[in-house]
Amino acid sequence: MSRLSALVLGARFALFGGREGWTRTLLTAVGVGLGVALLLATTAIPGALSERAARNTAREVPTAGVGAGSGADTLLIGLAETSYQGKWIRGRLLQPEGPEAPVPPGVTALPGKSEMVVSPALKSVLDSPGGALLRERLPYRVTGTIKDAGLLGPREMAYYAGSDTLASRKAASGDRSGITRVKAFDSQGAQQKIDPVLALLIVIIFVVLLMPVAVFIAAAVRFGGERRDRRLAALRLVGADRRGARRIAAGEALAGSVLGLALGTAFFLMGRQFVGDISVGDLNVFPRDVDPSPLLAMLVALAVPSAAVGVTLLALRGVVIEPLGVVRASTPRRRRMWWRLLPPLAGLGMLAPLMGRGRDHGTFNQVQVVSGAALLLIGVTALLPWLVEAVVRRLGSGGGVSWQLAVRRLQMSSGTAARLTNGIAVAVAGAIALQMLFSALEAEYVKRTGADTSRAQMEVPMGHLTPVEKSRQIRTLQETKGVTGTTTLGSAELGDRPRDPSLPTDMTIGSCTELSEVAELPSCQDGDVFLAQGGASSSNPVRSGAKLYFDPSLDDHKGIALPWTVPANIRDAQTRPDPAGAHRSGILATPGAVANAMRTPVFYTTYVQLDPHDGQAQDRVLNAAAANDPLERARVLREYGTTHQFANVRDGLYIGATAVLILIGASLLVSMLEQLRDRKKLLSALVAFGTRRTTLSWSVLWQTTVPVMLGLALATGIGLVLGAVLLRMTGRPVTVDWLPVAATAGMGGGVVLLVTALSLPPLWRLMRPDGLRTE
Amino acid sequence: MMSGGPLLVARELRKSYGPTPALDGAEFSVRTGEVVAVMGPSGSGKSTLLHCLAGIVTPDSGTVTYDGRGLSAMPDAERSALRRTEFGFIFQFGQLVPELTCVENVALPLRLTGVKRREAERTALHWMDRLEVADLGPKRPGEVSGGQGQRVAVARSLVTSPRVIFADEPTGALDSFNGERVMTLLTEAARSSNTAVVLVTHEVRVAAYSDREVVVRDGKARDMTLERTK
Repeated sequence: MSRLSALVLGARFALFGGREGWTRTLLTAVGVGLGVALLLATTAIPGALSERAARNTAREVPTAGVGAGSGADTLLIGLAETSYQGKWIRGRLLQPEGPEAPVPPGVTALPGKSEMVVSPALKSVLDSPGGALLRERLPYRVTGTIKDAGLLGPREMAYYAGSDTLASRKAASGDRSGITRVKAFDSQGAQQKIDPVLALLIVIIFVVLLMPVAVFIAAAVRFGGERRDRRLAALRLVGADRRGARRIAAGEALAGSVLGLALGTAFFLMGRQFVGDISVGDLNVFPRDVDPSPLLAMLVALAVPSAAVGVTLLALRGVVIEPLGVVRASTPRRRRMWWRLLPPLAGLGMLAPLMGRGRDHGTFNQVQVVSGAALLLIGVTALLPWLVEAVVRRLGSGGGVSWQLAVRRLQMSSGTAARLTNGIAVAVAGAIALQMLFSALEAEYVKRTGADTSRAQMEVPMGHLTPVEKSRQIRTLQETKGVTGTTTLGSAELGDRPRDPSLPTDMTIGSCTELSEVAELPSCQDGDVFLAQGGASSSNPVRSGAKLYFDPSLDDHKGIALPWTVPANIRDAQTRPDPAGAHRSGILATPGAVANAMRTPVFYTTYVQLDPHDGQAQDRVLNAAAANDPLERARVLREYGTTHQFANVRDGLYIGATAVLILIGASLLVSMLEQLRDRKKLLSALVAFGTRRTTLSWSVLWQTTVPVMLGLALATGIGLVLGAVLLRMTGRPVTVDWLPVAATAGMGGGVVLLVTALSLPPLWRLMRPDGLRTE
Repeated sequence: MMSGGPLLVARELRKSYGPTPALDGAEFSVRTGEVVAVMGPSGSGKSTLLHCLAGIVTPDSGTVTYDGRGLSAMPDAERSALRRTEFGFIFQFGQLVPELTCVENVALPLRLTGVKRREAERTALHWMDRLEVADLGPKRPGEVSGGQGQRVAVARSLVTSPRVIFADEPTGALDSFNGERVMTLLTEAARSSNTAVVLVTHEVRVAAYSDREVVVRDGKARDMTLERTK
C-alpha cells in the first residue's frame, strides 16, 4: 500500500467509517476546532490592539495644541468627559475659529452650537428609557453619528458637541482653562508607550494561556485512541503491515485535525461577530479588527495537523498491533528523568540573562521570554509522567477495594493519568507565576488614592466662582435628589507682591465645619485663621503681619490684586487629608477673615455625600455639575486607583484564563468519558457480581485525585520557579503570597473535581447491565 | 449431588428491549448442586434469562424466586448484596479487571464483601490452585492466555463459595481443548461444593457437562430433559 493510499484510507475511515468512526472524528475535530479558534483569536489580539491604538492616536490632539494664535484653520477643544451608570463617556466640546477648522475622524461635519454628533452606543443609551438622566446631562440636539474611524470599539460611548463659549474661556483663563487650540487631529508622538514590564506581563499571559491550549489539542487528537487501535488491529488481520497501519492512523489524525482546522476557523469567524459585544475593562474592539496576521494563521494551519500526526504516531509507539487482531500495550520502559529535566533547565537558561533588566526599564527580548517561559512550562508536561509513574509505583494497594482498583489502574497506565492532568498542571503553573508577578506589580499599578469614601463619595470641582455663583451652585447640588450632605472648600493662591509674585502661598477657605474636614482645629469661629501644619511645606513661610495679595493672575484670570494681612492671632492646625485624600498646606481661613479681600473669584470644590441606597444619585450629581460647567469634571471617589493598562491586562487575563479552564475542563471530561466508555463491559461485569456503585465512584475519584495532586504539586513548584525568575527579571524582590498560590492550585483541583463529579452520572449509566448485552 | 426442592425458580418471565421481546413467558428452575445448560440460537433470549435469574435485569413481568425470596421485590442494594455473597459469575471474555493481578481479580469478590486483603488472597490462591492457575497469581490478565484467563475467571466465580454460578458462554472465546478443560474444572468444582450452575451456551459439547438442558427459543424456555423422558 502506497503512503498516499494509506493516508487516504485513514481519512476515509475517519470520515466515513460508520457511526463510531465519525463520532470519534467529530469529537477530535470539535476539540481541535476549539483550540484552533482560541489560537486564532489570540494571534489576532496584537493586531486588534494596534488598530485600536492607531484610531486613538488619529483622534487625539497634542496637549499643548498649536499655541495662542487663532486662524481660519484652528479649532478649540475642551474635554467634557463624563460617566453614566459607571460607564465612561468620551466627550469633547468643539468651537471652530474659522471655516477650515479640522474635523475629527469619523465625523463628517462639525456640530454647531447646542448640537452634537454621537457614537451609536451612546445614541442607543440616549434613545433608551434608561437614558433619561443622560439626556438631561447632554442637552444637545443629535445631528449625526460618529463613524467607526472615530471610535475605539462599537460599544464606546462618545460625543462631540458644539460650543460658543470656549473662545471666551480660553481668552479669560489661558492654558488653565483646559481648552486646546489645534489645526489637526493626530497625537502622533504623544502616543502612550506600553510599559516594558507590562509588555512582559502580556507576553507571559500569551504563553500561559496558549500552552494549555497546545496541550489540549494534543489530548484532543488522542480522543478515542483505544477504539482506533482495535480498528487498526482488524486491518492488520486482513494484511496491512505495521508501517501501513501507522500511516492509516496518521491519515485518520490528519483528517480529524484538518476538519478541526475548518471547524476552528468557523468557530473563530462566528465568535468574531460577537466580539463587539464583549468589553474587557474599557477595552472593546470592532469585529473586523480581530484579524489574525496571515503569517500566524498559516503557522497555526501547518502546526496543528503536523502536531496531530506527530502525537498520534508517538502514541502508537506504546501500542503493539498484531496481525491476529490483538492490541496490547507494549512492554513499558521505565521513564527516565534526565532528559525530562532538559526543557525546564533550557528555559531557565534562556531567562537567566534577562534577570534585573526591568530594574532600569530595559526592554525584554520577546522571543527569548516566550521560548524560556514555554520551555519551563513544557517541563511540567515532560516531568509529570515520570513523577506519576515514580510515585504510583511505590503506592501500596492496601486499603479499600476502590483504592486498590485506582492504584492498580494508575500503575498500569500512569501515562494516561498524566496526560489527563497535563493541561490543568500547565495552566496552574503559569497562573501561579503570573499571580506572583501580578502581586508584585499590583502595588505599583494599583495605588491607594487616599480618598475616604466614608466622608464623601464624589468630588465636584466648580471652577472660579464669585460668592453669589458659589451659593447658587452649592444650593443646586444640595437640592439634588440623593445628596445627603456637602462640604465646599475654596482654594486660592496668594502672592507676595501685587504684581508678578514669586512665592505664592496656598489658602483654603471654608467655614469652621468645612475646615475641620482638612485639619484638626483647636477651636474655631468665623474670622479665625490657621496655619496648616503637616502638609506640603509652603514655598513662602507665613509670618503674622505679612501682607499677601489675592492675585487673579496666578490663576490666569484678570483683575486687581487685593491685599490681605496675615493676622497676628493665626494659630497652628494639624492637617488631615481632605475627603479626596489631598493634604492642604499654607493658610486655612474662615470666610470672615478674608471677606474684604475676596472680590476676585476663588476656585471651589464640593465634596458630596450620597444616599447609598439611591443608585441614580451619582448620575444626578454629575448632571448638576455638568449643568454648572460641562468642562469641570466631577468624579466619583475611589479608595484604590488602577492604571488603565494594568486593569485591561488583568481583566484580559481573567477572561482568557476562564476560557482556557473551560476548554481544559471540557477536554478532561471528554477524555474521562472516553475511558469510561471503553470500560463499559467491564464496569457492567463488576456491577453484576455485586460491586457497589460507590466503590467504583470512589475508584474513579482516587484515579483522578492522585495524579492531580501530583500534577498540582509539580505545577506549584515550576510555577514558583517561573514566578521567581520573572520577578528577578523585573528587578522586584522574590516574595510568595501563599494564599493566592493555594487558591490557584485549588482552582485547578476544583476544575478536576467538578469534571469528576460530572463524569459520575455517565459512569452510573455505564454500570447498567445493558453493558453485558452482546446482541 | 442434588438435594431438596428448587433453589432458583422463574415463572412467566417477560422482558422486551424496545419493541423486541427477549423473553415471552419463560419458565425455569434449578436445584442446589444442579448444572443446567441453557441453550438456544443467537438472539433467542438465553442471556436475558440468565440476567433476570441473577437479578441483574428486572423482568417486565413474572417472578424470580431465590431460596423462597422474590428477587423482583428486592431493592437494588439487596440484590447486589445477594450477587456478592450467594452468586458467582463467569462471562464469555472473562471480564477480568485488566489492571489487577490474577490473584487480586480472584480475591475481588471476597474483598467486596469486606474480607481483609491477605485473607481474601489466601482463599483466592486456594481456588486458583484447584483451577490449576496458582502460578499466574502475580500476573496481569493481559499477560496470560485466553484459556488461563477464563480459568482465573472460574476461580473468581467460586471464591465466595456461592450457591449459584451463572456462566454466560464461558467457553465462547476458547478453542475446544481449553474449552473442555475449563468446563471440566468448573463442573467438578461446582459439584464438589454443591453449587448450582446456570450455563448459557450454544455448543452441544459444552451442554454435555450439564445435568439438564433447557432450550430457549422465541423467548420461551423448554426443558429438553423432561421432553425426552415423555
